[in-house]
Amino acid sequence: MAGAAVVTRFGDEARLWRAVDVYRGAALAYAVVSFAWVSGRYARPWLGWLVLGLMAGWTALLAARRVPSSTLIAADLAVGAVAVLVTRVADDPARIASGTQTLPTMWSAAPVLGWAVWRGRRAGLAAAAVISLADVAERGFRPSTTTVYNIVVVLLAGSVVGYAVEIFRAGRRSLARAVAVDAASRERERLAADIHDSVLQVLAFVQRRSAELGGETAELGRMAGEQEARLRALVAGGGPAVTAEGAVRGEAGDRDVRDVRAWLSGLSSSAITVSGPAGPVPLPPDQAQALVAATAAALDNVRRHAGPGAHAWILLEDEAAAVVVTVRDDGPGVAPGRLDEAERLGRLGVAASIRGRITAVGGQATVTSVPGQGTEVELRVPRREP
Amino acid sequence: MTGSAGWPGPGRGARTRVMVVDDHPMWRDAVARDLTEAGLDVVATAGDGAEALRRVPAARPDVVVLDLQMPRVGGVEVTRQIVDEHPDVRVLVLSASGAQGDVLEAVKAGATGYLLKSASRDELLAAVARTARGEAVFTPGLAGLVLGEYRRMATAAPTPSGVPAGPRLTERETEVLRLVAKGLGSRQIAERLVISHRTVQNHVQNALNKLQLHNRVELTRYVIERGLDADADADGTHAGGGA
Repeated sequence: MAGAAVVTRFGDEARLWRAVDVYRGAALAYAVVSFAWVSGRYARPWLGWLVLGLMAGWTALLAARRVPSSTLIAADLAVGAVAVLVTRVADDPARIASGTQTLPTMWSAAPVLGWAVWRGRRAGLAAAAVISLADVAERGFRPSTTTVYNIVVVLLAGSVVGYAVEIFRAGRRSLARAVAVDAASRERERLAADIHDSVLQVLAFVQRRSAELGGETAELGRMAGEQEARLRALVAGGGPAVTAEGAVRGEAGDRDVRDVRAWLSGLSSSAITVSGPAGPVPLPPDQAQALVAATAAALDNVRRHAGPGAHAWILLEDEAAAVVVTVRDDGPGVAPGRLDEAERLGRLGVAASIRGRITAVGGQATVTSVPGQGTEVELRVPRREP
Repeated sequence: MTGSAGWPGPGRGARTRVMVVDDHPMWRDAVARDLTEAGLDVVATAGDGAEALRRVPAARPDVVVLDLQMPRVGGVEVTRQIVDEHPDVRVLVLSASGAQGDVLEAVKAGATGYLLKSASRDELLAAVARTARGEAVFTPGLAGLVLGEYRRMATAAPTPSGVPAGPRLTERETEVLRLVAKGLGSRQIAERLVISHRTVQNHVQNALNKLQLHNRVELTRYVIERGLDADADADGTHAGGGA
């Protein structure tokens, strides 16, 4: 509650207290008018006027502060309770027994509102209990109907106002959070633009130039190119490293989904080309994870079997009924019969694990190979009905 | 290797005239130098979109090699205006950005090719040569984007009059685009589908033409519906991108 959060909402806090001040002022006016009407019948009218004078001073003291200190708020409750109790001394005992109003009347509800604004529902109720106790004590512990009525009203006021204030503060907090998130994403966009203008350009330039120089420099260029691709994916908001932020809102509604495209684009490097639609491709988290993991396994397979110089292409397609990822390499390929045979003999361990992941989420994996045109692994995950 | 010998310049028997537009001077100069060394005529360079648009009429390039992310007038808008006002000038998008949406918009606006900045010198020269001949430069990345766009249009709700939201690909065109996106060259595709190399090119070209034509029709309809004319161009709004 303390610190920056309070400072940022200072204006609203002050407005809440202003409302309590207005109530206190109006209740004071009512108390003065009520007392003036019946002061003649009081046992000690001078004491009544003295208490009202002190109440007026106290009201003014609190109204002069934008947000009262904790000490003042605590003292406010004591002042309210004492003002109620003094009635027992100031008024005529016979009148008290007949169930007349207390000296401060509704003014004693002001501390209840104050505590509710200060610390919420519980504090409001606690303050209401103290004022109620004072009310009962003023009556000599023989509460009248009016007393019971007053107690119910203060308890209600304390809890309702406290509850409303809690809701108000929670709303302010989430608004502040939303503003912070918005600022962060704008900062990210600014960074992305900056990085595009500087780092990415230089990395791409290094890659391009060193590829022409050849030798060891070409290796440096390749590394620069891979970092460029990774950084580009990162500032585009994707990449497997940021799974928690990969969540996007599906067009259908608020279902929890992940953008497969953002994940896959993080895989792109000088040896891997990633292609797909321009927009996000949302899938439920389990399906998205299975698809990405199977794609990574297929890429491992490429590295292992297609030779070190092999290039891989990943194609992501968002069909109406399914999401399809194809991984192709430009390795030597496998003769058609050999593939089934190898799988039967359990030699295609990686292929089996790919298939396992995809079938677990209701999909299908097929491996095809055209001699001279590399090997293709097609992963097809059907869209579930929402 | 695409050397300067036998460079297939478009008409006039002259060298291909190229304009390089990029806001990064180091990159711009490197590309211009590569093109010059390969025997092309770099007639102008520009550091931002507004400058590019100012220079095109006087420089009369055959090909504009264009970066998409630039200050002031962005690459998509530059493409749209160049294609509108100088239909004979071809635009090759060269982008380092992962902003696939921008690439798609530029291609819909009339760019005939898209190359990543990480492409090698030879890939760049080959792409410029093909662009100059009026052929589409279909990298796997572009094929994936175009496939995605056709799928998006196919699943989008049809217009109230019952007309489908956009053009469709034929089965063959889809097949060819998928193979391009998977990194196969046009010769390999021809071999696999048992069609001629030329037919592969035609399918790719058709897929692109339909998309660009649709985009122009949409833009025109948008302008007529809104009763706008000059304003639509100035603020860079486009009807094609909206779902």
